[in-house]
This record gives sequence, C-alpha cells and structure tokens, in this order.
Amino acid sequence: MIPEDLRYTAEHEWLAPADAGVFKVGITDFAQEALGDIVFVQLPEVGAKVQAGDSFGEVESTKSVSEIYAPVSGEVVAVNSALDGAAEVINADPYGAGWLVELKADDPAAVDALLDAAAYQELTTNS
Amino acid sequence: MTQPLRHPALYHRHAALGAKFAAFGGWDMPLEYAGGGVLKEHTAVREDAGVFDVSHLGKARVRGRGAADFVNRCLSNDLNRIAAGQAQYTLCLDENGGVVDDLIAYRFGDDDVFLIPNAANTAEVVRRLVAAAPTGISVVDQHELFAVLAVQGPRAAELLDGIGLPTDHDYMSFTVSAFQGTDVVVCRTGYTGEHGYELVVPSHDAHTLWDAVVAAGARPCGLAARDTLRTEMGYPLHGQDLSPQISPVQARSGWAVGWGKEQFWGRDALLAEKAAGPRRLLWGVEAVDRGIPRAHMTVLPAEGETPIGEVTSGTFSPTRKVGIGLALIDTAAGVSEGDEIALDVRGRRSKVRVVKPPFVKSNVR
Repeated sequence: MIPEDLRYTAEHEWLAPADAGVFKVGITDFAQEALGDIVFVQLPEVGAKVQAGDSFGEVESTKSVSEIYAPVSGEVVAVNSALDGAAEVINADPYGAGWLVELKADDPAAVDALLDAAAYQELTTNS
Repeated sequence: MTQPLRHPALYHRHAALGAKFAAFGGWDMPLEYAGGGVLKEHTAVREDAGVFDVSHLGKARVRGRGAADFVNRCLSNDLNRIAAGQAQYTLCLDENGGVVDDLIAYRFGDDDVFLIPNAANTAEVVRRLVAAAPTGISVVDQHELFAVLAVQGPRAAELLDGIGLPTDHDYMSFTVSAFQGTDVVVCRTGYTGEHGYELVVPSHDAHTLWDAVVAAGARPCGLAARDTLRTEMGYPLHGQDLSPQISPVQARSGWAVGWGKEQFWGRDALLAEKAAGPRRLLWGVEAVDRGIPRAHMTVLPAEGETPIGEVTSGTFSPTRKVGIGLALIDTAAGVSEGDEIALDVRGRRSKVRVVKPPFVKSNVR
C-alpha cells in the first residue's frame, strides 16, 4: 500500500504536507511489514533540529531495531505522543494514526526532491 | 559461497498461509504468518495452542550393538539416567569443553538412539560421531527423512487427543503412535516453556499431520515466536548463548553433564574449568529503563564504563511487556541477583536488573 499523494525516502519514511512548510512524517507500510510487531518507538523532543539523512529516532520490534532518518532538514514541531505505550498503532495504521513527528522544513522545496509514489513503488518492488 | 537454502516438506503449506520466511541454519523457514505476527503467535502458545514446523532441526540415528553406550561415551549427559522411551537434553562438546551443539537424545533402546541436533550443526555432530564409532555401530544423517512439528500450549494435549494421538505420557518421554497409516513419534518435549509435544513424522506424511493439527485449532506459529518464547524461559540458543567459545559451566548448563561419567568428549577441560570456577556466567537481565537488550550489546557495571560482559540473546518479552535478555558476565565483576547494572544501547546507558531466568513461570510439566 503506497498512497499516491505522499512523498517517500529510500529509507522507507513518508512525508505529507500538514501546514505551511510543515510535514507529517511516518514509516511506510512496507517498513512496518518488514519490521513485524512494533513494541517501542523513540522520538525526538519538540523543538529538536534535525538534518536531512540523520537518524532522529528508533522504531523497535520484537526482533529488531530500525532507525528513523530525517527526510528533510528542519525543526520538530510535534511528536505523536499517542504512540507512547501503543507503538502497535504504527503496524495497524502506518499512514494515519501511526504518524511519528511533524517537521517544519528549513526549505520546503527540498521535499520535491524526494521520491514520489511511483518511484517508491519501484524501489520496494526491486528490493 | 553460500549454499542454496533447503526447503522443509511443508514449505508450500507455509507459503499458502502467507508466511514470511527467513534462513535458519541453512533452511528457509517460516518466521511469522500473515494475520498473526510474533505477539499473537507467542500469546497463542502461552494461552491456547500453537504449532511450529521445526523440520530444520537435524535428525540422526545411531544403531548397532551398544549404540546407547557409545553415545554415552561421546555426549555429555548420562544416558543411563533414562530408560527406553525417554528423551534427554545433552551436549556435544569439543576437547576444550566448548559446545559444538546442544541436542535431544531419544533412547529407543540399548542399541538404538535417535538424535535431534540443531539444523546448522547436524553435519558436524554426525561427522564427529561417525569418526568415533566402532565397528558395528552406524551413525546415519536422516535430516530430510523426517519432519518435526512442535505442538505447544495449555490446549496442546486436548488438540492431539482430538486427532487420536497419545498425550498422557510424562515430560521428556515419548511413544510411537500410528496416525493415518504412518508412524508418529510423540514426545513430551518443546522449547517454549509450555506443556507441549514434538511430533517426528516421515517427511512425505507431514502434510496430513500438519493439516490435522491446524484443523484441530492449533495456530501456525513461526520461528520468531519460538525465539521470544524460549528467551522468556531463559533456554539457551546454540550460536548465541552456547557455542564452541561458551562452555556449559559458563552457560549454567552443567545439569546436562554427567559429571560422574568416566568418559565423554571435553571431560578433562570441563572438570578443570569447574574446579577453577568459570571466568564468566550466564545471567538473565531485565530492563529497568525502556531499552530492549539485543545480542552483542556491551554490559556495563552499575558505575563506570569498563565493560563486564556481553548480551548473548535479547528481545521484548511479549508476556511481561519488558525488555529481557541473557548475558555472559565476568565473574570478577561480582554481580548477584537483583543488582542494577546497565547495557550500552546504541551509545546510551540503559539500566537492567540482574535476574535468574525463567522470566515467565514454566508450565512444561
């Protein structure tokens, strides 16, 4: 499942426009499926500055741990505190209730350089 | 470099159930099933009944006059503690007391012993036994001749009763039963900590048995859940908690050694280590903070940053909802039960408590 209207990274994060220059970020259905049952998520604090490509959190399943990389540079303006103690929501609804953070992008145009749904589809089919 | 993966007889059954596969000891085995997942499958075994295909496990037959005595001169545990119709957990050690493999020995009779080693170690165990076997004793690798199904959980007996298999024998004993024209070895063993059975069946008859067990209500469970279940019990996994570099004295598996025996592989080295005291010991660790222990994480003392050991297995406990693990800790560090120490979790210090497994009460009997 790869929604048409989102942007994607090769590290299996998605981005969706939320507000002016602000983007919701999560992990894709492909990523949650590969991880299996997610039991913990570690997210940055609101106000944290992140650099594109840097790890800013972790998603941990029974079997393994996976880092979350910032798709673009910016500031964390919201974190999904509903995931605290209920990380399985990421498995159940990765593009909805399982969102991770909202990022205010330093350069909103940087999002245009990310993968579109077709390119991400191709990436996951060939991996 | 890598050999192609071997497929269990039930491969297509698993694929049809939407299994995710992973390599286990050279075999392509189900990790978890569609509509299931580790947590659901784990819970099914703790609360109801699950069935695992563990056909990747090795099978070897030692036969000939005095086969049991021969095995008893090689493997660590005392095979004379058990009678025909009983099974025993035992170890194949090297000359340094390191663990080549841990395995189950089924004593069919004085002249007939069936072995279930780990998938990855079967060829090596067989090689060592063949090399040591005197004239008249045959050691045959039967890896692909048999499938093994583990039916585990509080309802396991009820389900097997329902398909006409015997279930009321004692823990660690077995009986051979006819099932739809084939012979099934029904053993009261398992690796989950629950009341359960391991069924050894000829590979070409495995489908009939699998279908019957699943139709009776056992949830298909993958090897990912088997790992969380065994970790909750503190059962060692060869290649992680036991290895040629980790002796049974260090891993607290000395109960599987026949210390009074005159002969078994690795005896001298093991007696010397036992007398001198092991340099490290296997402990349970339970997360105090949120971190989940993972194999190869460094163990840190309560204060200071000098490593005192290494995590050998770790996971999130689905039953306890907390990170748990097994760790080899230097004896010199002087830790004891209840101590709070720490793990290096990807550069962060994460507190854990030293405990004695199991992490969850055993219900095997």
